[in-house]
Formats: sequence, structure tokens, C-alpha cells
Amino acid sequence: MRTDADPLLPALQAASEELARHGVRFEVFARLGEHTHLVLDQDGALERRESHELGVACRVSKGGHAGFAAAAGGSAKAGRQAALGALENMLPSRDPLPPRELLGTSGSALPHPPAEPAEQEAFAHALARAFDEVGSGITLVQVRLLGGTSSAALATGEGFLARAAAGGAVAELLVAPPAGPWRHLHFAAPALADFDPEAVARRAVEAALLATRGDAPDRQLTDVLLAPAVAAPLVVALAQRLAHQAPDDGEFARARVSRAWNLVDERPGPAGLLPLPWDGEGFPARRIAVVAGGRLRERFATWERAQHTGEKPGGAVRPSYRHPPVPGPANLVVLAETALRQPELLALLENGFYLALPAGAVRVDHASGRFALRAAAVAVRQGKPEAAHPLVDLRGSFRRLLAALAATGGDAESFSLASAVTTPSLLFRRLEIA
Amino acid sequence: MRRDEGSGLSELATAVAHARVAELEDVFLERRAEVCWHLAEGRVTARETLLREGAAVRRDGTLVSGDGLDRPILARLLGIASRALPPFSAPAFPDPPQLEEALPRLPAQWASVRWSWRWAAILADRRAVALRRPDLAEVTLEDGHRALTVWPPGTDREDSDLAPATRVNARVGAARVLLAPAAAAVLLHELIGHPLEGDLLLRGASPWSGRQGERLVRLSLSVSDDPSRTDLPGAFSTDDEGEPAQPRELLAEGILVGALADRESAAALGVPTGNARRANVHARPRPRISNLVAHASDPLPHPPRHEAAIEVETLTSGTMEPASGAILLHVRTAFALRRGERHRPLAPFTLVGSLAAVRSGLLAAAEPTLPVAEPGWCAKDGEIVPTGAIAPWLLLSGLEVR
Repeated sequence: MRTDADPLLPALQAASEELARHGVRFEVFARLGEHTHLVLDQDGALERRESHELGVACRVSKGGHAGFAAAAGGSAKAGRQAALGALENMLPSRDPLPPRELLGTSGSALPHPPAEPAEQEAFAHALARAFDEVGSGITLVQVRLLGGTSSAALATGEGFLARAAAGGAVAELLVAPPAGPWRHLHFAAPALADFDPEAVARRAVEAALLATRGDAPDRQLTDVLLAPAVAAPLVVALAQRLAHQAPDDGEFARARVSRAWNLVDERPGPAGLLPLPWDGEGFPARRIAVVAGGRLRERFATWERAQHTGEKPGGAVRPSYRHPPVPGPANLVVLAETALRQPELLALLENGFYLALPAGAVRVDHASGRFALRAAAVAVRQGKPEAAHPLVDLRGSFRRLLAALAATGGDAESFSLASAVTTPSLLFRRLEIA
Repeated sequence: MRRDEGSGLSELATAVAHARVAELEDVFLERRAEVCWHLAEGRVTARETLLREGAAVRRDGTLVSGDGLDRPILARLLGIASRALPPFSAPAFPDPPQLEEALPRLPAQWASVRWSWRWAAILADRRAVALRRPDLAEVTLEDGHRALTVWPPGTDREDSDLAPATRVNARVGAARVLLAPAAAAVLLHELIGHPLEGDLLLRGASPWSGRQGERLVRLSLSVSDDPSRTDLPGAFSTDDEGEPAQPRELLAEGILVGALADRESAAALGVPTGNARRANVHARPRPRISNLVAHASDPLPHPPRHEAAIEVETLTSGTMEPASGAILLHVRTAFALRRGERHRPLAPFTLVGSLAAVRSGLLAAAEPTLPVAEPGWCAKDGEIVPTGAIAPWLLLSGLEVR
């Protein structure tokens, strides 16, 4: 391996050599993330960050023992530290490492080159100008832009070596409407150039003005239409919950599943925000159908889980180089079976609530399998807006969420959350609003 | 691995000054070590180690950071040649503790235990200042709830039965609640701590902007931020801009008297600096809470259970929305009270109220005032730092169960 030009290779090579000397089965994973962050404050102040996050992780296995360790940096020293740490951490365990013959790569498109700092700055100012031009009375408190690329490499002691690259851009706006809570808006795309500043500003203003004044509604079971920004964190939370629950016992045993659900993890792309050529363990990326046809389909599985349960591996993710691979979603897409337009969805909603914008993260009670999410909402009566509610709590169980999906919109948007997720508006029957 | 001190840092600070990097503010060096033991039924099933090191440079309004800690990396961040910097070394990563020595008996409901160590140094004005903090212990329970203390973690923490079958729904509507110290600490963290962070005060994102000297609560409650309390997890010897740790009085007998500031916000607000914290080497220093220490001058001797309908033991989180003044407390464990006794455990619920309601509804504080493992990790714009708290019991009206 040539190590002079590639920042990942010195650590990868040193770790591999160290582990090979110890005669263990091993896997070495290295990742470099290069990101630029820009914050533009309402007073015009600019704050910039440029980060190079680089590290290496090792998993080892021998004689019924396994271990994991990670170290920051891309040097040979970092590679040796991770290797020795993994050896030191070996405890009795099944062999978590997949066999070489199952590993591979599906190939994926190269990421867009990241925006230059000057481009980011120009975009932030263009967005602020566009916001002013909309003239809504809303104050743009902050624009936050994040862009960058990551490259990863995975090598095993049995001679597998694979590379991957990804990139993306996120624009976040913190806005203060003339009344009511400040709002936080999130937009994600493969590249900064995919954003139109005027369109982003217009959509942000529309969403932020939707529910500025009003009381909390009474607690009730009712139908809810979730805009993509509200649906997205719930879809990720559902997929994560499904990843950690056995399909045939526990909370999802004999769960009723709406036929409107068609939730897939489009790991190889091209759909979705973040395709990658292999999963967190080196299995070729493949499409994983999670919920479809009125039932739960495939659960995310690492090789270790697959050995234990008979499920199909290839569902591993690595949140960063610091974490061992875990089962979970990577590039979720909710496919719209019906792709209704918003007036059609509102007509189907008839009486209930339209939730336009999330106001915080999804809260999950792990003991009961219930979730809660705050959002800005509008009460709808006979398909028409009736009253605004700046903050409502949407609650329910994930089991109920599976059963309650009634229709999907044709307005899919992508978001970069705990995993990438692309979803249209979702209409659910009888969830709790408070 | 062994504990030692970094060397060559003073020479490095001098060399950095000689390099005359344009608009250089400071250089930050950091090492962290973590070990996580995964547990099942009181036994260790896996052990993971993470060693992190990196450097960050603030220059010309930009923070540039990179993982790894050596001369080439630092030179790249500074934009100078490697040979302009002398050799230097950070303290070696220490040996992690032996779990079985620290905790001979592991409670069955613990899902994991994490030990963490951190060393950092700030180079500025030809000086190198080392930063120390206590080793930390994070215990994750089966339901994902995390408790943060200094190392080693205590095993005497009692946790209520979380089985859904044993818990009933709280009655919706207005309720007088008694907050145990762990829950009171989260409320005070959101009500007093966060909103007095200098950047939020300057951004207009705090209801306490321009309110110094005003009475915030009727109760004779005093609250300070104290990073010098090394028995609490938010402790540090100097802040992340190199300023010595100092206790900072925020609320004196119910009156607003202070703020938390980094250098930038201290200059704008006219208050002392010393509260800058970085979530990691890639994050900017920002004004943040460390250890929130609250006490009442006239506390009741015992928690007044007979005056409340609900006793809240722990929260999963709390938030205060600055513009609307809405306060939400997400309750994890609580009990319905009857005749001053715990009657039934309650299912998770949310307490909602306005800032005005909480200010006027704080009725009493009661002993014992205790150090607690909450709020623990504190997030602000996605940046997470460890915090600690000492709080009394609080009797509170004006909130609604939702």
C-alpha cells in the first residue's frame, strides 16, 4: 500500500501489521471527515470552523474472544494504539468478524466536491438577503452552514480492502417570528449548489409564520398530517426502534402494519441522500426493505447478530470511527405509494392537525416503546385551517405508528439526522396530540 | 500507559508566538481516554477503548482543528513550517481503572459503565496553561438513562421500578409537584444556568437579558456556578481559554446577580470571564455551565410530601423556550402522593408551564440538599459538555401535567 499521499493509509497499514503479528482475525477501519462550518449572525458577525476528523478503529477475534478499540489521528502511532487497545480488550465472545468471501462493494457515485469557504460565505449572505426581501417581519437570527466530505477505508486480515467516499451540505436557519417560539429549520442536499437561497428563505418564512400564536390544544386522539420535516425524525426513530427489537416477540409481535408503509434503506442509492458502497462491516451495500406490503420485512443485522438469529447481514452502520459497527439505518427512504398532493392530503385529513415544523428532538421512552415530539401545528376542520398552535406534543407508540399510516404525499424531502432520511408528508390516523 | 505531565509546552508556546501567525488567538491541545464496559446482568460482556488527541487553532476569526497531536499537524493548523516548532509531548494516556477494583459488585440494571479522562492545554501570549478535570464515570441504565458523576460511580443509587405494567398515568391538569434534587437540578439548570450564558444573553435568546438586579423568584434561593468543585463532574482547573476556575454567583436570595462568560461575551457584557468550555477539540469555546450549586437560606427540614400531589424523582430532560417562556419537564420516574406517602408509580409524562408560573410557583425548598448525577451531559447546539449539580428539594405549583 502506498501511504505517502493518502491520509488514511499510515494508520490502516500500521494497525494491520501489528494485528497480523499477533495472529488474530482482524478488521481495521479508518475514516477522515473534512468539514467546514459557517455561522452568520443577525448582526453580520461570521464564525468559521474547519475540522479534519480522522481516526482508526480495530476489531479483533481469536479463540472465542473479541475486542474493539479506536484512536484519533491518521499516523502509524494511532494505528498501533488502536490495534493494541483492541488486543487488550479481548473478552469471551462470538467471532464478530464476517468471512472474507461475503465482503465486497457495490460501487456508488463520487461525492460532490465541498464548497469553498468563500462560496459558503456568499451563500449565507445571499440567504440573508433573500430573507430580508421576503419582508415577513421574521428575524433571521442565525444561518448555519455545514459542508464537507468523508472518506473511509476498511481492511481485513484476510486481504479485503475497500474505499468509500461521501459528501453533503446542510443549511440550518434559526428564526424569530414576531410572536411565539423561535424556529429551527433544517435543509440537506448533496451539495451547497443544490440549494436555492430564495426558495430556502421563502419556505422558512412560510413554515415559521404558520403557527406563531395560540394555546395548546386539549389532549386528544386525532388524525395528524406530518410535513416531511416532522415525519423525518419520527421515521428515523421508528427505524432505530425496529433495529433493536426482535420482529417476532416483544412490542412488535403480531403488530398490525399499514399497507401504506413502504420504508426502505436505499444503501446503494441512487435514491436518498447518502448512498455508500458497503455497510459498516464491508458487506456490499444493498437495498433493505424495512416495512412494506403490510408487514415488517427485514431487520438491520450485523454479521454477529445474523449468526445468532439467522437474519441477513449487511445492515451495519458506524456512527463514526469511534464506534464499532451496530445494526441501524443508513439512507432511509419512505416511498410514496400514492404520492398525493397536499390539498388531497388535507381533504383526507378532514379533521385533525397539520404539523408543520418540529420543535426539538424525538423523545423515546425505551421501557414502554412510546415516543413524543413537539411541533408547530394547525388544527384542521373539514379540510380547512381552524386554529394555530405554536407548540403541540405528538405522542404514541411505535407499534401504533406502524398501524396508523393512512397516506403519503408526493413532496419528499431529504434530511441529515442520525441517519440520512428522505420522506414525503405522512398522514396518520388517531395519534395523541396534547 | 502511565500518568505524566506534558513537556516542552512552554517552549512550544514561545515558538508559536515567534511564528507571528496573523490574528492568532490561541492554540488548544487535548487528549482524552475513555473505556466503556458493556454489562449484562451484572457481568462485563465487552470492553471498548477510545484514545483521542487533537489540536485546534483560533486565528483570523476561524477555528481550524485536526485529530492527532504532533508537530506536522500543529504546523499545518498554524499555517507554518513544521521545523518552526520545537518537539513537545502531551501527558501519556493513563492506565484505565480496574473495574472490579472500583466496583466489586455491578448492579444488574446497569447497561454500561464508562470511564473518561481528559487533559488539555492552552497556548496563548507565550504561555502554556494546562487544564485538569476529574476523571468521570457515566452509568447507562437499561432504559438508556445516563447518570454522570466523578469516578468511581456509586452503586448506592436507587432506581425506581420502570416496568410499564406497574405504572399508571398521571392525572392531566394542574398539579402541585415536589421535585427531588435530581429533578430540581434539571429545572434550575434550564431556568437559571443556560439562560445566563453570555452568548445567549447577547443573542437575545435569554429571558434574563438586561434583567441584572431583578428578583427572579420569591424563594430565598441562591445559585452559583462552581467549576472548582472537583467532587462534581463539571469541574475544571482552568477554563478552555486558560482562565482560572472561579465560582460565579448567579442568583443571590432570588435576585439575579451574575452571568457566565467567555472572553468575547465578557467584554460585551462587562462581566468576568472564565466560563469558556469546548465540547471537544473541534468545537469553539463557548460560555457554558459547569457545576450548578443551589441552596436555600430557609429550607424546610424535610421534603413536604403532604403538600404535593406528585413527587418527581428523575427527569429525562427539561427545556425552556426563551421567546415564549414555555418550560417543559419530561418526567422519567414519579409517584402519585397520598397523605404524604408515595402511593403509586407513574408512567412518564410532561410537566408544562410558563416562565411566569414557575417564577411565582416556586413555593419552598427542603433539605436534604444533595449532589446529583443529573443533568449530566449538557447539549447546546449539538455540543455536549459534562455538568454537575447540587440541589435541594423544591415544591412547585403552576405546572400542568400533559
